[in-house]
Amino acid sequence: MSDDIRLLDARFLPPPEPFVQAMEMLSELAPGERMQLLLYREPHPLYRVLEQNGHRWQTLLRPDGTFEITITV
Amino acid sequence: MQALLSYDQSPPFAAPLRFFLSAPLFGVLAGLLAIVDGPLLFASRWTPAALAATHLLTAGFMLQIMIGALIQVLPVVAGANLAQPLRTARRVHPPLTLGALLLAGGFLSGTPWLLQGGALLLAAGCILFLHDAGRALRGVPSTSPTIRGLKLACGGLLATVVLGLLLAFALAGGWALPLSDLADLHAAWGLAGWAGVLLIAVAYVVVPMFQLTPGYAARPSWWLPPFIVGALLTWTAALAVDLPWLRISAQVALIVAGSIFAGWTLALQRRRRRAKPDVTLRYWQLGLLTAMLALATWSAGAFLRDPDPRTALLFGVCFLLGGVLACIVGMLYKIVPFLAWLHLQPLGRGAPPMNRLLTDLAARRQMGAFFVACALSTAAVFLPDWLARPAGLAFALASAGLLWNLAQAVRRHHAYRRAKLDA
Repeated sequence: MSDDIRLLDARFLPPPEPFVQAMEMLSELAPGERMQLLLYREPHPLYRVLEQNGHRWQTLLRPDGTFEITITV
Repeated sequence: MQALLSYDQSPPFAAPLRFFLSAPLFGVLAGLLAIVDGPLLFASRWTPAALAATHLLTAGFMLQIMIGALIQVLPVVAGANLAQPLRTARRVHPPLTLGALLLAGGFLSGTPWLLQGGALLLAAGCILFLHDAGRALRGVPSTSPTIRGLKLACGGLLATVVLGLLLAFALAGGWALPLSDLADLHAAWGLAGWAGVLLIAVAYVVVPMFQLTPGYAARPSWWLPPFIVGALLTWTAALAVDLPWLRISAQVALIVAGSIFAGWTLALQRRRRRAKPDVTLRYWQLGLLTAMLALATWSAGAFLRDPDPRTALLFGVCFLLGGVLACIVGMLYKIVPFLAWLHLQPLGRGAPPMNRLLTDLAARRQMGAFFVACALSTAAVFLPDWLARPAGLAFALASAGLLWNLAQAVRRHHAYRRAKLDA
């Protein structure tokens, strides 16, 4: 299952690049596809967009402080 | 879509801006007080001038910036939206501003009604803010160490306010209370429970985001804010049941927690991927290093049987000015240009970039003045006759320079906006 997840490691990107690139990747996903976003913070503004667009997401905080956000469109 | 969305989620510029623009004025007043009162300000932490200056800095300068910044960042870092941010700002700003001025006036003149009135107004402003922030945070699960820290910091502010009210009324009414011990506890809740925990919670987000450092490891991040609040509760209980050893244990825990955070952040900053150090990074480095120095001073004072009375003053000057305030001002240099730029985005392409709204050169000059002011203030603890007034002058100038820089960014924002709307 994890093979079909697209990965966006935005941990060392300056703002607003993580948001911009996440939006770009989201727009390329077909319904049912998933992407994983890595960040050192919870992206609350992005959550709001995901909610507005009816996407589902799950967030996991790794021990090194990385937030792993798995989004299903 | 990105710009539109960010703009849509952001509170109106006017909401946080009033706090950011009035905050440096309290720094100017504190500097002027040092010029007028000179060595008296550095004679002891308990002189009327020292108490007034301390509250101009904490309940004026720092509190204004922290409340303004929280109004702005709660939606971004916690997903907690204030129902009406502009209404919150309009209700909170006047009592906070007037309250800090009256309180400082009350300390200086020894007038009971000024002390009580100032404390009541400050408390009203804080409680109005906590009410609105509490409503925004209620129902927001603590899914990150930052959200947990923000909630705890709000509790820290409430404890500071309650103790501050008690102290003001006890001082004004001559109540038989252990004022010195209660004042220490009030200061500890304010500096560690409110300012410290807030700074830590926000640092978890902004240090990796703006300085491109690795993140703060999860486990210690979760525990640091509750550890600090636990130590403060222990200190409070130790005072209530009169257990000096327990109080000292709690103080040691606070010194350890603060030093760990400062050392940890400095270590992360050494691994940053943004090569060029900016003003915010330099301010934070100053703040963290000076905070560590201050905590070392405090630990020396806590363990010495008969500490030099200047130890407490040295701790206060280093921790307040060089420590917490430096970090807060450093953050302001990220927040204000960003907001000035963000709120121009709905007008379309062509808005001036952030570094033209507030130039790096202007920020660096102001930072130089601030660093000189911190060095002179620290030295003035040992040479008050020589350096108290120069330190006051330098701090007043550095604060005025900050106000000038922020006002310039706002002026350029409005000039572009007017030109665009007139076109």
